[in-house]
Amino acid sequence: MEASSSSAGPAPQPPPSIPPSSDQAVWADASQLVAAACADLQDGDLVHGENFSLFAAMSALEIMDPKMDSGMERSGYYSIEEAIEDGIAPVPLSLDKTLDIQRTLDVIDHLFSCEATWHKGHTLAQTVFTCIYLVKIERIASHAVLNSFCRILRATCNALISVVSTARTHEEEDLFTMSFGLALKDEGDDKCLSVLNSVEETISRQLRACKSQALSKKKTLEGLESLQDNPALEEDYCRALLCRLRFRKHFHHVVTCMRRPNGRGLDLARKHITSCLTELSLMLKSQEFLKSRSDITLHQGDASCTTASGCCPIGFDVSLNSRLLSPAPPRAVEILAWGDAIRYFEKLLHDLDIICALSLDPVLENVLQFIAQFQKSVPDLVPRAFLQTLLIQDGKLYGRDLICDVISRALSLPDIVGDKEFQTNEFVVQLGQLVFNLLKILCTNTAWQRRKLGKSLQDWSTISIQLELALKREFGETRNVLAHENICMRVSKQLLVWSQEQTYWIASRFLILGFELDLYSPSEYCMVYWYMHVAFIKLIEKMQLRILASNENARRKGKKKKDHSKDSGRDAAFPASCLLLQCYVLLSEGLSMLLAALRNESKSFQLPSIFNSEQERFMQHFDLLQKARIPEGITYYSFKEAAAQAHMADVMKYNFFKEIQKIIPSLKGSFAGDLEKLAEIRQIEQVAEHNRIALNIINHVGAGDPSLRVSFEFTHHPHFAVAVVKRS
Amino acid sequence: MSAAVMPASAPAEGGSSSSGGEEIAYVSYGGEQHLPLVMSLVDEELSEPYSIFTYRYFVYIWPQLTFLAFDAKDGKCVGTVVCKMGEHRGSFRGYIAMLVVLKPYRGRGIATELVTRSIRVMMESGCEEVTLEAEVTNKGALALYGRLGFIRAKRLYRYYLNGVDAFRLKLLFPRPQLGLHPMMVGEERDEQHMDSPYL
Repeated sequence: MEASSSSAGPAPQPPPSIPPSSDQAVWADASQLVAAACADLQDGDLVHGENFSLFAAMSALEIMDPKMDSGMERSGYYSIEEAIEDGIAPVPLSLDKTLDIQRTLDVIDHLFSCEATWHKGHTLAQTVFTCIYLVKIERIASHAVLNSFCRILRATCNALISVVSTARTHEEEDLFTMSFGLALKDEGDDKCLSVLNSVEETISRQLRACKSQALSKKKTLEGLESLQDNPALEEDYCRALLCRLRFRKHFHHVVTCMRRPNGRGLDLARKHITSCLTELSLMLKSQEFLKSRSDITLHQGDASCTTASGCCPIGFDVSLNSRLLSPAPPRAVEILAWGDAIRYFEKLLHDLDIICALSLDPVLENVLQFIAQFQKSVPDLVPRAFLQTLLIQDGKLYGRDLICDVISRALSLPDIVGDKEFQTNEFVVQLGQLVFNLLKILCTNTAWQRRKLGKSLQDWSTISIQLELALKREFGETRNVLAHENICMRVSKQLLVWSQEQTYWIASRFLILGFELDLYSPSEYCMVYWYMHVAFIKLIEKMQLRILASNENARRKGKKKKDHSKDSGRDAAFPASCLLLQCYVLLSEGLSMLLAALRNESKSFQLPSIFNSEQERFMQHFDLLQKARIPEGITYYSFKEAAAQAHMADVMKYNFFKEIQKIIPSLKGSFAGDLEKLAEIRQIEQVAEHNRIALNIINHVGAGDPSLRVSFEFTHHPHFAVAVVKRS
Repeated sequence: MSAAVMPASAPAEGGSSSSGGEEIAYVSYGGEQHLPLVMSLVDEELSEPYSIFTYRYFVYIWPQLTFLAFDAKDGKCVGTVVCKMGEHRGSFRGYIAMLVVLKPYRGRGIATELVTRSIRVMMESGCEEVTLEAEVTNKGALALYGRLGFIRAKRLYRYYLNGVDAFRLKLLFPRPQLGLHPMMVGEERDEQHMDSPYL
């Protein structure tokens, strides 16, 4: 920078917009200072102010550095018009009708791969909208097939953005909804289905004609315009196109049906999902023909083919939109291979089908279980957004059930459903808000979910404490006034126990998700399993209290528990879900004690560090739980003391893994018919069995034997490790 | 940010160390002459791009937290660590921004030594904790920081430009008030009514 003004002459008057000199400030000519500073600054130097932050430093981009400059020219085109003029996206795609249809199929396939890539976490601008035909859709009005395909694809993209934006579960995945000012719709898109239907009808008539011609050996196809000029290929081209167009049609229907309020379109959506899967398999089947027709010289690498034929598509330019992107270093975009895109959509449709099969059960416990089970298969953003928009609509569960009714049902107090006083109670209103937040959090990706769950623990804990205080204030300290209990007190007590139960459920989930995210190292397993077993014990305790109270309630009413005994295992005192939790307690406790005994007797699974001790690591891992007093009175010393006392003899004596094996048969009976639960029980059984054997071997050899090598693997369950014993 | 290192056995003490028969000299950031060395090392080894402003931001404000490792034989700069420290949500915390050791020099404890020096300065300057981010696939860096007492506090989804997740690693320094005697918390524990042999 050059300082241009000289210091001679009178000081220039500040422009009228600048405030005049005052007691605090006077205006002075700084030209000389600036000129001197300019001469002082070297290339890359900066004047550092107090407010110059890391964010400011990192926001600086070096132009023409390919690692930083996302707008850096790569293709050589300055505009889409220039690219079109240069002939990279001709319409028709070829004057040779056979080649035209072949190229159209390549464009369709590459768009399909782009769409999957977009879903997997890239921008629309760098994926689907790299297609010049789709961006400049008015150019292909005369190309019926490509026009109908592009229009419905664009409409579907637009609908999906709307679903994901509504769900707002995409905090870390916001690239999905960023459209960078691209034209996501125009008037023609409303008619995309009818346009597609008429094209589909024409081609299917053509296909029928091909078949009958084959039968009658006639030479010409009367009254129909063929797709291309080679009659021998007509039927295969018709089939290849039809399955692709039909996939788009059904997928569009799936999206539309699933967006209907109150889950009214779910049954119909399932039919379209089935159709989509059929068309996907036909698409795969068409690959052989398309490969056989493709020009070998244009082949992409086999593993990374973005088209069925293996040919590079025409009409795409990856760098055209790069100037639209935010001024940040470019993210690497690698378009998924066509085969991977097919697999992505298969999984997507499978996940959507699970959502559509949801029975809209108003029992909160079951809803939470459903989401947790659904998340096990690590669904991508789109299905998670659909699930959330189904669960929460217009501030109600499924857009149907008031959240206070959901809570009163969870309390097993049917008489207060619809009760105005209950509905407007400040605790109930607050808890309702927490439940909604919980449902939303559970639909986010695991990494984000765990962080949010951890933070929400404080809120749950606070409301429990407030409830407890209110209860004491209203009804005194005594706990044994069962005879005089009025309904109000019973509701308050039940609400307290229930909110504590939710708190421990969240705490348990927070802890187990750490395994899924690989946040724990083997030297920390001992304390993690110890904390898990504490949390599970408290969860069972609260669950049992709630059930006892509701049984008591039912007994008072002198009513047979007919309508409310739907939970399996009610013939026993507590439902099977308690028994399943008991298995988790035993597994966590057994693993923690085994690890503690190994630490004590073989000095393994310890990690001394020069800067801190195990206590600090404990504090950090369980900081959020500790701050929220989950549970009360548990500190590092509770763990340290318990762990210090653990010895192999005790682990053998309490044989937790054998205890689990005793529970399993009854659990299997209780959950007969529930395939997901049975699979979980089977996994637990295997972990218990492997660990029981490992324990015996360690005990036999002696934990202190220097040749003994014990490691822990998650081969049978994502959260519960299996001890692997080797001797060197 | 990132790290390009390998697991190593034990950190070496002193201003220089000798392992595998070669001497490594460790130097605190000494001024402008060191900047190009730091920049070229990081640029070469790490996936994330940083502008010169980012480097200056760190080395000008916290030169005492930046260290360089030189091969004493030929004077070549083979590793560097770049850090900062400051207030963060009510606590004073250190942050390790970049840690690089050239490939042929990895596995000799150079990274451990570099980062240990920075962490020591942070601890002496009153930091309560140290944080950093590392790619979930960077086994070498994760092992190194694990040995120094870091825990994996969070996973950050698709944190890096290359689409890879990151772990947020944290090292908490011992605080005096944490040193409660077990006797002082014993009473609270009596309130536990858990039927467990393990409590």
